[in-house]
Amino acid sequence: MRRFEAEVTESARLYGSTHVLWLRREDALRTITPGQFVMLTCGEGADPLLGRAMSIHRLREGSAGPEWSILFDIVGRGTEWLSQRRDGDLVRVVGPLGRGFEPRPRVQRLLLIGGGIGCAPLIWLADEVAAEGREVTLVLGGRTEAQIFPPHLLPPAVEVIVTTEDGSLGERGRVTAPFERLLPWCDQAFACGPEPMFGALHEVARRSGLRKPVQALLEARMGCGFGICYSCAVFPRRGGVKLVCHDGPMFDLRDLY
Amino acid sequence: MDLGVNLAPRHKVELRLRNPVMTASGTFSNGLEIARHFDVDELGGVVSKGTTLRPRRGNPTPRTVETPAGMINSIGFQNIGVSALISNVAPVWAQWQVPCIVNIMGDTVPEYGQLAARLDGIPGVAGLEVNISCPNVGVGGLEFGQDPRAAREVVSEVARHTSLPFLVKLTPSVSDIRPIAEAVALAGGHALTVSNTIPALAIDPKRRQPHLATVFGGLSGPAVKPITMRNVYLASSVVDIPVVASGGAMSGLDVVEFIMAGASAVQIGTASFVDPEAPWRCLRELRAWCEAEGVSSLDEIRGVARRLD
Repeated sequence: MRRFEAEVTESARLYGSTHVLWLRREDALRTITPGQFVMLTCGEGADPLLGRAMSIHRLREGSAGPEWSILFDIVGRGTEWLSQRRDGDLVRVVGPLGRGFEPRPRVQRLLLIGGGIGCAPLIWLADEVAAEGREVTLVLGGRTEAQIFPPHLLPPAVEVIVTTEDGSLGERGRVTAPFERLLPWCDQAFACGPEPMFGALHEVARRSGLRKPVQALLEARMGCGFGICYSCAVFPRRGGVKLVCHDGPMFDLRDLY
Repeated sequence: MDLGVNLAPRHKVELRLRNPVMTASGTFSNGLEIARHFDVDELGGVVSKGTTLRPRRGNPTPRTVETPAGMINSIGFQNIGVSALISNVAPVWAQWQVPCIVNIMGDTVPEYGQLAARLDGIPGVAGLEVNISCPNVGVGGLEFGQDPRAAREVVSEVARHTSLPFLVKLTPSVSDIRPIAEAVALAGGHALTVSNTIPALAIDPKRRQPHLATVFGGLSGPAVKPITMRNVYLASSVVDIPVVASGGAMSGLDVVEFIMAGASAVQIGTASFVDPEAPWRCLRELRAWCEAEGVSSLDEIRGVARRLD
């Protein structure tokens, strides 16, 4: 973990009201894994005060070296400010943070479930495991078409299934249907999305009786991102209390419910 | 340049800090996470997460909300309990040079005594900070800090049960902090921490509900600095024990201002959430300021902003 300034190399609205921000990759982010996150300070002074937690969305080789990106919807002052950054602007970053996804080395079939903006870290995971020659199916779910990450931006080797609640794109319904269908096929599953989605996935996984390992990447309101403010508590099924930022954000789904 | 300060000059066991920059309780965990990344021994002092007799899971979420230039928290004393602190944390602290101070919070007066007794003589524990000001727990905490007689009882109880030097952390939620400060000093507190978060509320208009699960919380961050400044000024004008400022410091210049108001040391709290290196940065900035101003000891500026009356 370090605090550093990262230079913006590209800022764009990518789809619907979802933005992508590309930044130059500093030494501090040399070793990172999909599912890890950063805290971004969204302003110059003390207001807004706290950083915003953002999963690392993707990596690429830019014209002047390696770059990383975040994918976000505008939900408040912080993300509004981020969306207004332009090439050459500097953003203060604390990272890398948290424990990311841990695909088992020998598994061949990976099922990725992204609900809404929760697809952000899964895109990078899909890039990585597809490049390793493993089979990847990525389920992208949203309320409507405007919330779906454009499938053509993914590597051709990644099979994409889209679900929308209003049926405007792909299957009508939620991600739980393809999850249920594909659970027997996969060796390991990875999910990121809103909290109710995890509850629904857990219910499907439990009913299946297959005991497939499902790694859940939680989103939580964070103050610091590295285990000192105790904002992002989760209370696992077996008791106790964990911090999403420090003990996660990746948790075994079975440990949560 | 000597930035050193003794927070317990009247006690047989000193609490000597090599500089006045400390961490604030509840904003540094127990230091073990941060120590993996930064050199804690450069700091003046470390204060633990608020510690209770038994472990606590803390309050439900949401526990924090950002507000203009600040935040409101209601963590509810999530902590590992004094036994785990003694067996798992103190042995690590014992390897450090920096004095580590345990913030203790009891539900009753005897619990404060028990906590003090348990921590007495534990290697790695350099002192205590007695919390009589937490706004986020049902019993104890704040109620001891709003009544001089109750505060005196807690302080006497702690003094009877430990030979460790101890600070007493006061609340800003009083109409006048001076009577409490005087009562604590008279009862044997070795230093004051001024102060804690300010009880506050934020409403979420979308949900038409309070932002926090517990409704109320405590406000911290740069928004509260002027309030802390006034209380440091007032408290340090009526007691002759050291006053440690806690509430709103974000920079080395803030540290300078608190010392000018009468503080002996300054705790860095919410600033660490934004920048894990904040305590170290504040220290660097303080040194640079002293150098630029030709200040060689903080005694030269301590309380200089106070008007004698």
